[in-house]
Amino acid sequence: MIVKDVVCPFCGCLCDDIEVEVEGNRVVAVANACELGATKLTGERRMKNPILRDGDAWKDISYDEAIRYASDMLLSAERPLLYGWSGTHGEAQCVGVHMAELVRGVIDNTSSVCHGPSILAIQEVGHPGCTLGVVKNRADLVIYWGSNPIDAHPRHLSRYTYYADGFFLENAFRDRKVIVVDIRKTETANVADEFMQIQPGGDYAVLSALRAIVRGRAESIPQTVAGVTREQLIRVANLCKEAKFGAVYFGLGLTMTQGKYKNIRNAIELVTELNRHTKFTISAMRGHYNVYGSNEVNTWMTGYPFGIDFSRGIAFYNPGETTAVDILARKECDAALIVGSDPAAHFPRRCLEHLADIPVVQLDPYPNATTAFCNVQIPVAVTGIDAEGTAYRMDGVPIRTRKIFSTEYPSDEEVLSRMYALMQEDG
Amino acid sequence: MKVTLTMKPAGGSFIPIEAESIIPKSFLSGTDDISVWRGNRELGLSEVFSISVEGKADRPEDVEVIIAGDETFRLKRVGEYMDGGKITVLGDIGMHCGNFMSGGTIEIQGNADGWLGREMAGGTILCRGDAANYCASGYRGGRKGMTGGTVEIFGRAGAFLAENVAGGTVIVHGDAGDMAGAEMRDGTLIVHGDCSRPVANMKGGSCYVFGTAHALIPTFKKIGTVRHEGRMLIHFIGDIANRGKGNLFVKDYRYLD
Repeated sequence: MIVKDVVCPFCGCLCDDIEVEVEGNRVVAVANACELGATKLTGERRMKNPILRDGDAWKDISYDEAIRYASDMLLSAERPLLYGWSGTHGEAQCVGVHMAELVRGVIDNTSSVCHGPSILAIQEVGHPGCTLGVVKNRADLVIYWGSNPIDAHPRHLSRYTYYADGFFLENAFRDRKVIVVDIRKTETANVADEFMQIQPGGDYAVLSALRAIVRGRAESIPQTVAGVTREQLIRVANLCKEAKFGAVYFGLGLTMTQGKYKNIRNAIELVTELNRHTKFTISAMRGHYNVYGSNEVNTWMTGYPFGIDFSRGIAFYNPGETTAVDILARKECDAALIVGSDPAAHFPRRCLEHLADIPVVQLDPYPNATTAFCNVQIPVAVTGIDAEGTAYRMDGVPIRTRKIFSTEYPSDEEVLSRMYALMQEDG
Repeated sequence: MKVTLTMKPAGGSFIPIEAESIIPKSFLSGTDDISVWRGNRELGLSEVFSISVEGKADRPEDVEVIIAGDETFRLKRVGEYMDGGKITVLGDIGMHCGNFMSGGTIEIQGNADGWLGREMAGGTILCRGDAANYCASGYRGGRKGMTGGTVEIFGRAGAFLAENVAGGTVIVHGDAGDMAGAEMRDGTLIVHGDCSRPVANMKGGSCYVFGTAHALIPTFKKIGTVRHEGRMLIHFIGDIANRGKGNLFVKDYRYLD
């Protein structure tokens, strides 16, 4: 059976033009998707049933037993951590927030280790952004700063920027210019019209220099800034000013390098400055397919996008204190529920040492690095494959992911709702 | 009145204790009604501390609170909204010590964790050891950090020292970290040692670096040299990226070029 218009549940592009061929409970062929999306859609070797750690071995348990274990663990904890959430649908995230409030825990999502700094900067100076469709149809200049879409968001260039047709561009491929700013010559830099190579840690200085040049203060800038010559800075500033519509897309090369949210703030302020001359926007290259959704859901329910501490009964937000890495590294939690992410594959060793010391329950369809730290793992349906739900694209557009086929696995929302109902009875 | 709070050992738990109730004013009406929080549990003060009270007082200025014990680094928000009196911490202190403080003195004999003196409006904080990140800064997304008073660090300070500072004086005798005085609006920041990327995007105020300013932001305009308290310092104004009119004085500087 061929299923059309499938939404790809891999990266923040949420491509909604995928075609898959299904045989029974398996996707056997994928068209239109990139390599990353196709691999996820055809994924195999799921965990069969919930498992409980029993000494050095695993014991199979029922969903009821696993849900009871998680509920008891969270209710008895003094400071439980509920982390992950970017790899699941919005409806499940909603239940997660209710749960965190009920058990007075800390709820954090993966943006605290990816685009959290972008949100901190937006809270300081706002977000001059737009949807991907606007960029596709109007932008004649696209800047990728500290991001490498050819490897990380493979269809971003073809669907929305470099290779895409634009309604208001006569010959989009010729008219559109691409600038890449990075510390190394990436695959994306190879297709760029201008490549600005900067020294590691030099983003902030280069952004400040560009702001001053756009303001007409080029004479005060030193001959080179973080490895970039003043001539190139002036050339790039002119390209930006001469564009009819510019769009900046930045990645973790900007958010997770020295200075973090100050880099993003500086980039936003450069875009604000450029808007005195032409139309310019800036947006984040979000990673997980629904990491934007976890920020949306958290914000509409608690007022804050990630790192929310309910331990005093009200929402308190302070990234650096109430975020997962900081809490784990400081040993400040005594239980953890992990949903739709794999912290053991990404967190620093010190965090994992604490994760190994406390009870951990994970909801994930596959065995992963975090499985090694779990007391219980509950397999769930994969959103976008055998579960459906709302996800937010990297530009904030909500797209409902579809169920391609049905399985016996419960969705994240079903498992979490049952857990929450038990907690309400007991709590 | 002298109140001595000796922290009881927690038996290996690192869950922080939120103790915004520990300010001199609280102790004017006894210690029975004072509670602190460990995670999501509310505890009486005596469950966490051995308490001894000597003498009597009618106003906060006459109260001195002494905090002792090996695990005082777990205490958060001590001295929050304090308006008079004195708090002495014999060891290290946790995050948010002296938040929103408007008067009195806090003396920390060890190190202080993040957000020491956040959004402080008056009074004095002395830290004999090191201060972690965001000392004398503001809250996330806020436009103003510290607005008045004095913070003096005798050791080193972490990153984002005095971010958004809008008044008062911050003195660090050792080195400071990255982005010292970022977005500075007003007030005075003095770093006796080195620091990196000082006063990025500053709009006003004065910053003195008596050591080397590493990776100096390229958008500060050099004016000349000035003599200040016996030192020859190079004077910059900036940040010209934002029409800023702040003053940066450094003994020595390096660009990231």
